[in-house]
Amino acid sequence: MSANSDKDFHLEQGGASDDSIQQVHAQLQKQKPDKANGYSFLPLGILGLMCTAVFFGSIYLAHYSIRFDPLVVNEHAKREKPGAVVATAVPPAVLGKKVFSNICATCHQATGLGVPGVYPPLAGSEWAQGDEERIIRIVLLGLNGPITVEGKEFNNVMAPLGAALKDDQIANALTYVRQEWGNKAPEVKAETVSRIRAELGARTAPWTAAELLKIGH
Amino acid sequence: MKNGLALFLGAFVILALSWAGLLLTAHQQLGSLSQYKDPTDDVLYPQPLSGVADQGRLVYQDLGCVSCHTQQVRHEGFGSDIERKWGLRGSYARDYIRDNTVFIGQSRLGPDLRNTGSLELHPYADAEYFYKLLYAPHSVAPGTNMPAYTFLFDVHPLAGRQPSDKAISLPGKYAPGAGYEVVPTLRARALVAYLMSLKDPFDYPTERNLNAAAAPAKEGAH
Amino acid sequence: MNSTDNNARTEQMEIDASAKWPVLVFFGSAILWLIAGGALQLIASIQLHTPSFLAGCAWTTYGRVAPAAQNALIYGWGMNAAFAFGLWLMARLSATTLRHGGWLFVAAKFWNIGVTLGLLGILGRFSTSFELLEMPRFVTLILLAGYAMIGVWAVTTFSIRNTENVYASQWYLFGAAFWFPWLYAIAQIMLLKAPVRGVLQPVVNAWYVHGLYGLWFIPVALAAAYYFLPKILGKPIANYYLAALAFWWLVGTTAFAGGSRLIGAPVPVWISTLGAVANFLLVVPVVVIALNLFGTLSGRYSALQSSITLRFIFVSILGFVLASAFNLALSMRGFAQVVQFTLMTDLRDWLIFYACFSTAMFGAAYFILPRLTGKEWRSTILVKTHFFTTALGVVLLTAGLAAAGWQQGHLLNDATVPFGDITKVLTFWFTFRSIGLIVLLIGHLAFLINFVWIACPLNSRGTPLASFHQPPDLSLPNPAKAATEGHA
Repeated sequence: MSANSDKDFHLEQGGASDDSIQQVHAQLQKQKPDKANGYSFLPLGILGLMCTAVFFGSIYLAHYSIRFDPLVVNEHAKREKPGAVVATAVPPAVLGKKVFSNICATCHQATGLGVPGVYPPLAGSEWAQGDEERIIRIVLLGLNGPITVEGKEFNNVMAPLGAALKDDQIANALTYVRQEWGNKAPEVKAETVSRIRAELGARTAPWTAAELLKIGH
Repeated sequence: MKNGLALFLGAFVILALSWAGLLLTAHQQLGSLSQYKDPTDDVLYPQPLSGVADQGRLVYQDLGCVSCHTQQVRHEGFGSDIERKWGLRGSYARDYIRDNTVFIGQSRLGPDLRNTGSLELHPYADAEYFYKLLYAPHSVAPGTNMPAYTFLFDVHPLAGRQPSDKAISLPGKYAPGAGYEVVPTLRARALVAYLMSLKDPFDYPTERNLNAAAAPAKEGAH
Repeated sequence: MNSTDNNARTEQMEIDASAKWPVLVFFGSAILWLIAGGALQLIASIQLHTPSFLAGCAWTTYGRVAPAAQNALIYGWGMNAAFAFGLWLMARLSATTLRHGGWLFVAAKFWNIGVTLGLLGILGRFSTSFELLEMPRFVTLILLAGYAMIGVWAVTTFSIRNTENVYASQWYLFGAAFWFPWLYAIAQIMLLKAPVRGVLQPVVNAWYVHGLYGLWFIPVALAAAYYFLPKILGKPIANYYLAALAFWWLVGTTAFAGGSRLIGAPVPVWISTLGAVANFLLVVPVVVIALNLFGTLSGRYSALQSSITLRFIFVSILGFVLASAFNLALSMRGFAQVVQFTLMTDLRDWLIFYACFSTAMFGAAYFILPRLTGKEWRSTILVKTHFFTTALGVVLLTAGLAAAGWQQGHLLNDATVPFGDITKVLTFWFTFRSIGLIVLLIGHLAFLINFVWIACPLNSRGTPLASFHQPPDLSLPNPAKAATEGHA
């Protein structure tokens, strides 16, 4: 008994009064569904769907919320408690690269090749890969005067950096220099830098190459 | 449901719970996130925007760049943002505390811009590149459907003067013709300063450790 | 029985008379915004395949036109149409007149001036760039003041109702009337007045956008579906006893689903996970609502042929189910990884707003307007044009944008494909979208012409007067059983 018989869409006729819609549905809301065979399928089906949704929803939430940690953005991150996540140490050469690019690269260049005739190279340099006692001293107090690197003469001034850099920064930067561009020399420890800094005492004068060649071997 | 009061209370409680559970909790967790101090050189990351770059943020905002560009790098293993050189790593919440307005966006009709200022990732993308891109997109990105922002530039007749040192050099058919120069306006300069400031070079150790993928998930043995 | 019928009849006429001018003003401005927004949307769409189109001027650059179009459609067409329909239905179901309708004119003025200023602000360099909150800060108070009057009217009308019972449509309308201002005010405060820091901004924005679609547009559309099906078919809602469960479950989970828009974003992972779970739980109410609505329609599909309202409502219900399925699919991480940030993301919101909500409002308008003006729709051809262009447009754009988004997502995730190549592939789909939008715009123009004929005092002289039959009373499906229940 459709209310509209015409197909010309000029007008929509109502098929039920507002009042009766409200009354009938108010009764339907209280009314339980037909129980055809002693139970009705629909409410059970909906209940089953609800339980399934809540069950799998909770599992998903527990699995992918990663402890509700504010800093985790990766849903596949480790699920262990924060204490159990071991902090992986950053290699000193990586830390040193930053110091090197900020300070040393100004003269010695990011390539470690220096500027021919002006700034000596570090890549392949016998000084850089030589005794750590010498290069730590150069960085702490600077260097003045002629020096031979890779068979070439340089005569320039290197500024002292001992006041600007902390011991671990010097150690990291030197480690970077000693292990980059094909250089192969052991790591420099921050403790060595501290020891040498203490040994220098009140000295502020820059080194000369001749002076350094007497230290170490 | 005859009771209007029950309806009102139900509606109220639902939204109040959603607000408290989602927004207040997130605010509690992230509202006081601070910069991270790099132990090697005592620099704080993310580094704050310069004044002119922050002006540029407002230009980015009012031109609606966010309609086509996202500013979020999805982490490794979720899409190929890192392979596309849109970032050195996935973005973290901490990266955004320097931004007064956060434009993470939701449409990639254009590429992601979170690290667009990183010369390490895109060595060609210097300031000149961005001026050309804005004035004549096809001159640097053939086939793009990005509109030209010519209204961010002044085209002057030279009239015998020396060209301005800020004038941009355009290849042949995009140039305005002999005797004219194209000079970026203050708005263009601010916008480019903002774009050049978009980079997250530092990988926070806390976030990196917390977000490391669980061992059995994928290629765990490296 | 006859005397009560007569009472009901006269009361309804009084209600319609009291609602006439406010509702006409809201519908009228809604339709004008629909056309204006559609035109802006078309301009933006053309700019994607012909970038030089209107590009030389800051006011018409894509980044401003696209959000302006979106805002014109959402706040201009969507909100005005929802106000018109909501106020009328609330008055009808509460069996009370809309009192002091003059204030609603003022409200409509405020709202429309606010939207106009907001759009000018977006086009003229004051956009905030927050999705659906692009309008500059200064219009917030104008819009909230306008809304306050409208919302208070809806709630007051509900609270002075002359009926003993409250029907499902009223739950949805009441809830929506209450949620919108809250969502809007909180989003304004947390994003513009006292902005939260960092990624909390996208979280608040996603919460608002999802709330606006899920707690305003969808409830209004469902109110229409729950009302017009029994109203026109003369048949009660099937399995109505489940409707209350569906209502509470739907709104309760939708309120938490906003985070699903932030999958893969640099926000705490629990936010997007919670959103995905909420969208998953939404399966329950969507199934129940589909059982309610399709159960009512079952066996009576022939009625779709003769009722334009029912046809639109039918599209709207299909749109609702489809949009919900889409929402669920997009909160699956594997799927989102491919299609997020593509045209498919736009499609999700467009399905809710257009396929579900807007079609419901068209259906409602075809039912309501003759009752308010006492006139018939003049042109059948225009009505049919409107319906067929809408249906065709929905099918074309849904299929097209889904295919485009799928392709775009796969290309984006293949790092070997240069970005320019993706744009080349998409150019075809952008053109396709422009054509789809033109199809829709034709239908909207047809609707506008019919509206002017029926509603504008100067142009409606030639329109024939309408005569309405007294609708019969609804009867319970199983009277014997109902009688026993009633006595118990």
